[in-house]
Amino acid sequence: MSLLVLGLSHHTAPVTVRERFALTEARVPATLAQLREAGLADEAVILSTCNRVELYCATSLEPARAFPGLVEFLRKLNDFQEPLTTEFYQLSEPHSLEHLFKVACGLDSMVLGETEVLGQLKQAYDLALQHKHTGGRLNKAFQRAFNVAKQIRTETNIQRGATSVAAVAVELAEKIFNSLDERQVMVIGAGDTSEKAARALLSRGAQSILVSNRSYDRAEALATELGGRAIHFDNWASEFKRIDIVISSTSAPHYVLDRARLAPLMELRGNAPLLLIDIAVPRDIDPEVQFLDNVYLYNVDDLQAIAENYLQQRKDELAKCEGIIREKAAALLGARRPPAATPGRRPALGHQ
Amino acid sequence: MHLSDRNYFVVAVVFYGLSTLYAVFLQRRGFRTDDRINYLLLLGGAAFHTLAMMERGFNLQRCPINNLYEAITFLLWTIVCSYLAIGIWSRLRFLGAFASPILLGIGVVALMPSLDPPLAAHPNFTGVWPSLHAALILLGYGAFGLSAIAAAMYLRQERNLKFNKREVVFSLMPPIQRLEQTMTRLLGAGFVLLTAGLLVGALWLKSTHGYYFSSDAKVLWSGLVWLLGCGLLVSRWRFAQRGRRFALGAIGMFVFVLLTFWGSNLLSVIHNPDPQAKTESRR
Repeated sequence: MSLLVLGLSHHTAPVTVRERFALTEARVPATLAQLREAGLADEAVILSTCNRVELYCATSLEPARAFPGLVEFLRKLNDFQEPLTTEFYQLSEPHSLEHLFKVACGLDSMVLGETEVLGQLKQAYDLALQHKHTGGRLNKAFQRAFNVAKQIRTETNIQRGATSVAAVAVELAEKIFNSLDERQVMVIGAGDTSEKAARALLSRGAQSILVSNRSYDRAEALATELGGRAIHFDNWASEFKRIDIVISSTSAPHYVLDRARLAPLMELRGNAPLLLIDIAVPRDIDPEVQFLDNVYLYNVDDLQAIAENYLQQRKDELAKCEGIIREKAAALLGARRPPAATPGRRPALGHQ
Repeated sequence: MHLSDRNYFVVAVVFYGLSTLYAVFLQRRGFRTDDRINYLLLLGGAAFHTLAMMERGFNLQRCPINNLYEAITFLLWTIVCSYLAIGIWSRLRFLGAFASPILLGIGVVALMPSLDPPLAAHPNFTGVWPSLHAALILLGYGAFGLSAIAAAMYLRQERNLKFNKREVVFSLMPPIQRLEQTMTRLLGAGFVLLTAGLLVGALWLKSTHGYYFSSDAKVLWSGLVWLLGCGLLVSRWRFAQRGRRFALGAIGMFVFVLLTFWGSNLLSVIHNPDPQAKTESRR
């Protein structure tokens, strides 16, 4: 009995196709039962997320016989009559096992190294397990996949670093302050990105949020959502004494904060370190302020460049991760086989 | 094979040199690599350094702080031991990358033969109080040295945060606020030790010469160093002169101590009380 994977993902199929094959959680147990009753699989797990739909099957059928049957099964299940070319990938051992490990580690995800897919994979496996659609073959494969994901997370940098502007803002704050506990955050201009950054800071322990916006109602609404306090736009400077982090994203056509205005405010703050995050375009904060002692200013380009650097760093780790995955897959299969002998078609992107 | 104390110290300086080379590598990698290797190199250097001091101490049968060579090696020993203690905390282990060039540079200077004349076998000062006076003051200078090292890290991190923004999050250097706290606390600790050392020296002066204060060059110089430290701490706490300016002040003060320590010692009468004896012993 060998492990086969049939699936389509954001690498191989557009969303218009993916959405046709997507399965809600409620449909999965019945689908798994039908799959086994059809004699196409002895054990099966279905992973269905916004980026992929995959069947993991343990079957005693030859791959050449199993794959056409599985494709036909999915077509019928979803009433899909249009022609398919390269949308489906078909993987047999050892690549099927390696693919499972890659998915668990986030190596096949849209954001390389992301961890959300691991939770989704665990959920898919638990669902199949609860309905007794897994056995020794898939149990071992999935348990090993979760172990490999843990190993990759601890031994490589594939999941290190922030890949969103909000998360980068948090990382920068952690490079400046001993800890984010008891840090006071001020949001000037209640935009979407500043809200995300404020939420990220709060989740890491920031003490409180002050929100200032030209529309006081909007400020109040956001402050309530974040558990903070709204202040009138004209009064934000008076609250500056206790502030450690400022996130600014107003639509003002001119600088809201410049060197001449900030210098006396810094004295009021006892020259304590101040992190300024300017995500507005045009910019809200005069770049000259960074020449003041203990003032650290980052604009949206800086944050995006850091996020891109992190992504590049993750890509650089890919070879190391794939080495670990090949080794673990070979160990599970009981022999170290060269990865070259692979029947079936492989996905075009993200799997090499 | 039995090595002399100076040979042990040479081996220690070689370790400090290797650590400096590794520190350059760490620096070029933007401090992205873990620095356990650097810690181990400095641990090796400290082991030989300790052997060197023990060897000389057992030979002299007293604390080996009798000439400039011994004073400098003691000072370096306090720096490396303090670093090894602080470095147990992995977040501050990067101090080693900044400490090793100082240990190497001053270690090489200490090896100049003129700093270690044969007079070391006939110390001018014996007894508990002079040893305590010298040890406290040198420990204080060691703390100033570490404070200067933390200040150098602060300046580096500050530069990264302001002008090397795209790389800063990849560095494993500690947060700048922690570096600021570290340099301030080390300077404070050094100041307390220096104050205690000077008080012990004044009491000893009173007991042997009948007065607390002398206008001796080294006494005046020590007073000046004390005033510099006091000024820095007062400006920090009282006038919020923190961050970059404080870091520059901490580095400046330690550089001043390094550059003038030898000269003030040579000019001092109290600390070189018996030139006749030196002449005779050379004969």
